Amino acid sequence: MLNLLFYVVIVLFLAGTLVSLLGAARDLRIVRILSLACTTLASILLAALSLLILVTGVPFTPAAWQLFPGFSVEFFIDRLAAFFLFLIGMVSSCVAVYTAGYVEHMEGGNRRNLLCGCISLFVLSMALIVASENTISFLLFWELMAAVSFFLVMYEYSQEETRKAGIFYFVMTHLSTLFVMLGFIALYYASGSFAIAPLHTTPASLPLVTAAFLSLFVGFSIKAGIIPFHKWLPYAHPASPSPVSALMSGVMLKVAVYGLIRIIITVFSPDLWWGVLILIAGIASAVLGVIYALKEHDIKGMLAYSSIENIGIIFVGIGLFVIFSCSGLAMLATLSLIAALFHSLNHALFKSLLFLTAGSVVHATHTRDIEKMGGLSGKMPCTSVLFFTGAIAIAALPPLNGFASELLMYIAFFQSVTVVDPLIKVLLFICLALFALTSALSAACFVKAFGSIFLAQPRSKESEAAREVSLPMLVGPAILATACVILGVFAFQILTAFGYALPIPDLFLVSMLLLIMAALTYVVLYFTASREVRISETWGCGAKSQPSSTEYTGHGFSEPIVTIFSSIYRTKKAGTKKYYDQHDCIFAEGTAEIRLLKFFEEYLYLPIARGATRATRGIARIQNGCLDTYLLYVFIAVVAIILFLGWSA
Amino acid sequence: MTPDFLVYGVINTLCVVLLSPLFVSLIKKVKAWSQGREGPSIFQTYYTLAKLLRKEVIYSPKSSWIMRITPWACISAILVASLFVPLVYVTEPVGGIGNIILFLYLLVLARFFMALSGLDAGSSFGGMGSSREMSISAVIEPTTIIVFAALAFVFKSLNIIDMVTVASVAGIPVSPTLILIGISLFIILIVETSRLPVDNPETHLELTMIHEGMILEQSGRNLALMELSAAIKQTLLMALLINLLVPWGLATTLSVAAIAVAVCLFAVKCAILALIIGLFEASTAKMRFFRLPGLFMMAFFFSTLTIIIEVFA
Repeated sequence: MLNLLFYVVIVLFLAGTLVSLLGAARDLRIVRILSLACTTLASILLAALSLLILVTGVPFTPAAWQLFPGFSVEFFIDRLAAFFLFLIGMVSSCVAVYTAGYVEHMEGGNRRNLLCGCISLFVLSMALIVASENTISFLLFWELMAAVSFFLVMYEYSQEETRKAGIFYFVMTHLSTLFVMLGFIALYYASGSFAIAPLHTTPASLPLVTAAFLSLFVGFSIKAGIIPFHKWLPYAHPASPSPVSALMSGVMLKVAVYGLIRIIITVFSPDLWWGVLILIAGIASAVLGVIYALKEHDIKGMLAYSSIENIGIIFVGIGLFVIFSCSGLAMLATLSLIAALFHSLNHALFKSLLFLTAGSVVHATHTRDIEKMGGLSGKMPCTSVLFFTGAIAIAALPPLNGFASELLMYIAFFQSVTVVDPLIKVLLFICLALFALTSALSAACFVKAFGSIFLAQPRSKESEAAREVSLPMLVGPAILATACVILGVFAFQILTAFGYALPIPDLFLVSMLLLIMAALTYVVLYFTASREVRISETWGCGAKSQPSSTEYTGHGFSEPIVTIFSSIYRTKKAGTKKYYDQHDCIFAEGTAEIRLLKFFEEYLYLPIARGATRATRGIARIQNGCLDTYLLYVFIAVVAIILFLGWSA
Repeated sequence: MTPDFLVYGVINTLCVVLLSPLFVSLIKKVKAWSQGREGPSIFQTYYTLAKLLRKEVIYSPKSSWIMRITPWACISAILVASLFVPLVYVTEPVGGIGNIILFLYLLVLARFFMALSGLDAGSSFGGMGSSREMSISAVIEPTTIIVFAALAFVFKSLNIIDMVTVASVAGIPVSPTLILIGISLFIILIVETSRLPVDNPETHLELTMIHEGMILEQSGRNLALMELSAAIKQTLLMALLINLLVPWGLATTLSVAAIAVAVCLFAVKCAILALIIGLFEASTAKMRFFRLPGLFMMAFFFSTLTIIIEVFA
């Protein structure tokens, strides 16, 4: 039964791709609708299937599939995999519904059919990675995911910016594949099999195992966007269509998180320092991610940096899990792991919600610059409410889901008193302070985002002319927003139902109390206060009207934080001044500039790229395009092989 | 929800709503005295609230639904938060009410709405207030959380109601490090209630205003709700400081006499704290905005010191 369902899901996803490929020649709406309907249905079935496994807790092994002798694609779905499959299914179905509306407004003619087909294939590849039982199928689908997502990023290939982003993404994602592959090869040498199964570490195999872990960690970190491997996110997300950003940020990053959690839980028996490494990588990404997000004025760039922050938070949870389980604190370890998993699901929901609604806003205003928006809450009321829900969730405010998972994280931190090692304890307290900073800055960031986009007056003609989007573009995000509310308000009940009775406050009670208090206040005011309301212009110190240029902008809003954290932003100030007299009193002319240093790009990426270019230039010299030279190379190679074989015999 | 907790909720909410305006005017009175002025009556805040309730609400035509729901969101978040800090009577907490992290984030919820409403009408004063408020709150947040972690550490509980129970049973401060925490809590109180040297609650000048800037567009009953929630927030933070450091006289049994005594004692202790805050405010000048992180670092230092002493003791 489950087996059948599993294969129906796969066939439906493939059908979604095939339909669009068959109809690729003609620009027909029905083709896209059909393709997306297949994706939606398959995603819903996938979510249902995984929910079944999650609830029963019985692992499920679909039939294997022989690729060629010795290499087979095998699947295995346990509770952990089912959790991530649920996440993929849930988010993808909403994104597919949204895309049905979004794709019709896009440019590109029949290329749009391919977009729908690629989305289907993309979701399928991610689901199969999670379901993989051995490293072969993991890598196979990992590469499929990388390739398909590259095509999706390159949708608007005619634009210079997109091409640059696409190449950047392509290189980074293949670096990730490279490291994952190296890690799996090292694993094969350590264990002698391709299965993702517990590994028995002996002192002799320890260096190999450590190398395997580090390599896999780097590979998954690149894909997840951990600083300093994060640079592809802020390039790829603004360049790609919004549903693709939603899928990449909401789901694809979680597949990398799944990879890391899977190898830590199933394959390795981690050391304490692995936990410290993951924790530090996580907290650094969280703090820097949100600080960069505050500076960003491209709405999708900001969401991309915010994804880096949230992935950082998830890594913090994983790091805590490793540290606590190495210190023998099973209860706290479970708590941290659940916090990391719960935050993965929550982030998938609210980040795809935010990317989708941001897509609606960009569609309505034809710009990604939040300085040119403003005043959209009146023009797009439903979108504004949906974005607002996402903003509350991501700013970790009670009683929504973002708060629920961060609360678990805080409780784990607060109880870290019981860790024996005092140095670890001090480290954890530093991380706690930084974690709190992250959460407060992300609240500031989303006050800025919501305020600049939706409140006050329109700051451009496009924004003035914005209109509410079509129904599918509201339904998809609305489902996600509802899920955010339910997962937050009923967090305690849901976790208890799954058998994790954790010491967390009952947010349902808190939300009821919030409603009761508001109702009580209303009743009291109903009898005591005046009910008169007048609409009148704000007094502007005598000026007749307040143009929208007098408003506080996003730049202005984040200026104090930029100044306080200026040492992190590394702004470069430069200027020249000329004077008429020799005492430098009468100013003649001058220039001034403030430039944001792209720290990681200028100090890490470019030097490596330059080094690579220099190294390849040497190799390029032997490629002169002359046939005789190549024949000589072949001859030398043959002679060398003969000599080598003779020598070794 | 036990009946006992229901009684606790009613007593606590009534106390906090009825007493809060008193302490606001008391601090003003102390400041006025120290500056050689007569100052307004100590019941002035009640009069102001009553006056505001009778006035009409004015909305800017540019403002949206955010402006309309903000006062309700603020007051209900702050009122729920008020259940987390026992003022005069302690009982068994129910369903995680009293969780110190949730308490902090309910305050953040109110602030989030307030900052958005500052941006809503499109006036630059509101935006200035919101921007500064969110910046300051971001910088103080690590300190607050470390102070709370230190409290959780000292009292071996995450629940404020449990902490107050432990403190009131012990009678004296349970640990000498609490005095260090007290200093940090005092700084947090100053910052969170927008007082000098962080913000000047009395002026509407653009150089100083943070909290006042954000609520500049509010009027009538909405402004009354915002003012009341600010007053309640101040009382809650004062109560947190008082009931953890000098918890004498808290009622642990439900009797009219015990609660009456507790209310009087609480009012006296709060009045003394209000006096200290007033004198502190009168003797300091407004700090330059970008010097504030230094002040916060001091609070951070004290709370970290507490933790280090506790960890290595």
